[in-house]
Amino acid sequence: MPWSCAVENWRVTSLLRSYGRMLGGLFVGLVAIWIVGLIVLPQIKMIERAFIYEPKGGAAVQAQVDVDRITQRLFTIQYDIKDLEKQAAEGDAGAGAYAPGAKIGEDNTGSGVATPSISGASQTIEEQIAALKTEEAELQIRLVALEADELRLKAEQEAAAGYSFRNFTTMNEIHFKIFVLTLLYSFCVTLICFVVCYPIAYTVAQTTSRERAALLMLGLIIPYAINELLRIFAWVMILANKGILNAGLDAIGVLDFSEGETIRWVASNGAVFCVMVYAYILFMVFPIYNTIETLDRNQIEAARDLGASTWRIHRRVVLPHAKPGVAVGSIMTFMLSAGSIAVPGLVGPGLHPDWFSQVIYRNFFEAGDWNVGSAYSLALLVACIIFILIVMSVFKVGIRQIAR
Amino acid sequence: MSDGLSGNDVELRGVSMRFGDFTAVEETNLTVEAGEFFSILGPSGCGKTTILRMVSGFLQPTTGQVVIGGTDMTALGPNRRPTALIFQNLALFPLMTVRENVAFGLEARGVSKTERRRRADELLDLVALRGQGDKRPTELSGGQRQRVAVARALAVEPSVLLLDEPLSALDLKLRQHMRAELKTIQRKTSITFIYITHDQGEALTMSDRIAVMNRGRIEQVARTEEIYDRPATPFVATFVGEQNVFRGRVAGVADGFAQVETSSGRFTGLNAGSLSEGEDAMMFVRPERMGLANGSGAPANRLSAQIERRDLEGPFVNVFLRGRGDEEIVMHLTNAGEAWRSLTGEQQIGFQADDALVMRSGELARD
Repeated sequence: MPWSCAVENWRVTSLLRSYGRMLGGLFVGLVAIWIVGLIVLPQIKMIERAFIYEPKGGAAVQAQVDVDRITQRLFTIQYDIKDLEKQAAEGDAGAGAYAPGAKIGEDNTGSGVATPSISGASQTIEEQIAALKTEEAELQIRLVALEADELRLKAEQEAAAGYSFRNFTTMNEIHFKIFVLTLLYSFCVTLICFVVCYPIAYTVAQTTSRERAALLMLGLIIPYAINELLRIFAWVMILANKGILNAGLDAIGVLDFSEGETIRWVASNGAVFCVMVYAYILFMVFPIYNTIETLDRNQIEAARDLGASTWRIHRRVVLPHAKPGVAVGSIMTFMLSAGSIAVPGLVGPGLHPDWFSQVIYRNFFEAGDWNVGSAYSLALLVACIIFILIVMSVFKVGIRQIAR
Repeated sequence: MSDGLSGNDVELRGVSMRFGDFTAVEETNLTVEAGEFFSILGPSGCGKTTILRMVSGFLQPTTGQVVIGGTDMTALGPNRRPTALIFQNLALFPLMTVRENVAFGLEARGVSKTERRRRADELLDLVALRGQGDKRPTELSGGQRQRVAVARALAVEPSVLLLDEPLSALDLKLRQHMRAELKTIQRKTSITFIYITHDQGEALTMSDRIAVMNRGRIEQVARTEEIYDRPATPFVATFVGEQNVFRGRVAGVADGFAQVETSSGRFTGLNAGSLSEGEDAMMFVRPERMGLANGSGAPANRLSAQIERRDLEGPFVNVFLRGRGDEEIVMHLTNAGEAWRSLTGEQQIGFQADDALVMRSGELARD
């Protein structure tokens, strides 16, 4: 550690020396702002949110809604009673001279909570008042109980609010299953990517002519000049029900569109895997290519000369040499697939099994629960870091080799 | 160790190699005898490595056949030929231990682990690397790495061992030591060695026979002493060892000798190129065959030259002179005392007619 500090120091001083105090200081300052403002602070904020439990919904809210409803009902009952008592007093006094007034009164009551007792002439006003009074008494009792409940629940929630692990521990079974499956899916994507990329990287790295190698590399890079979303949509066009793939199958007679036969490619995770491999292929190709390129070609020839089969040459000579590249490629591809929202979100969303990134997205932007979203993101991040450490120990690759 | 090991002969029949418009190796016929230490000597880019790669199977010849031990192997890949190649940079596997390196060929042949270990240790003994098996190649010295490469190649019991300038990375002392070791290993195992080098000293000290190559063509194949004493072409004469060259015109031929009129005088030498009168000729004389001609028993050919410099090499003295015709002449004098110190100015020097070769003018090796 002191050694690396010394190196850091030396670099900063050399920066100051080569660009002067002003410009050098500006560089250092901008880098510091970038690291603190754009990396450290947002991350800290997110992690903090993940550990803050914000009560939403649940029994306390339900109790509050109930209390509100009962209060409202009590208010209506009290109003009705008053109204009925007034009617009764007027009815004793005169012979319907105030009928229009009564009508107005009826209208007034009608706008409140329905009082069917008024239209029905079978009940006398007194009876109606008595019924309402009993209801009022019952409600009063319930209200007291509910209010006590509400207070208790609120107090409980407030006690739970603030820093806690509840955002993690409240993850339900379905979400946890998606979480585990997403890690598995990402592992599959990484594996497929490796299987596809290794031969490509090997071929390009072993190409003798420089021009051909450059051409092959260009061919790999050109698709990446196109926006990622467009690349994904291109696959949507290919895999859609009446897309290019099915149209091709229709043309060669495997499917019959006129009979309504189509294959719903996007309804499987295979489609998502396929698009992800396409989207992240370069992140696997380049690290592997870079390591294989440094392999002395004579070693491959020596192995062949000693009688080794192609398979053995790769297993014993090329792959051990390419290990750091494979590790870096795997880590990048895994992280990108585990966190990808665009691919599972655009390729047949809702048709294939959910990815955890989609769950996180919904927490943030549909449920509006940022804290739970943060907690889920953090869980994914930790899982990915654990994956990196496992990959590094399995491949016996150190940080130093990876940085190279 | 010699049990199970034996050499095979290697035959190139009309083999040539073209890369596009460039002809790396012109049509070549060559036979390397079984159990022979055979060197292919030539300047860089002369096609010697191409020949080696065609024998090992890494290159398919454009025309012709590669026959090893009587079997046509032209179509077989390097992993299916009874040859083993030692690379110029050795190409040891840096991520394996020394023992794993040596045992790699056995591993590829499906030999069991314990047997592999036993054989690898045996081979490490042979190359004097006992107890170094668990180290990484990078932990060894240059000479030790060299020996690991030899052991690794021998492990597959090849009948032909191909060596592509394997000593070029070593310093002089080690190189001389390794020459002797390679020669010893070759004798012990009786494997056919085909050794590629641009270092004539290496070729001369180790080989039974040498092929000298230039511009994709084998100029001469002969036993070592013949290459040195009876070079067939001006290129071979000047590439192997040092030579004094006199240019001129044939003034007369008689009894296998030719007289050449040069700017330093008329000299007589062996008519090695069967020249006839009037032809442009080159006369070659080795520096050690030149001598002072002021005493009695003066040689047939004499000339006077100005001494420019004398360098003491230890056992002998390099004397640099300039002839009348402005030729640079080198003379090796035995360091037999202090006499050479008084040599200055114009001197009479000379050589025997038997020690001079007359050939048709041709390309010389560049210095």
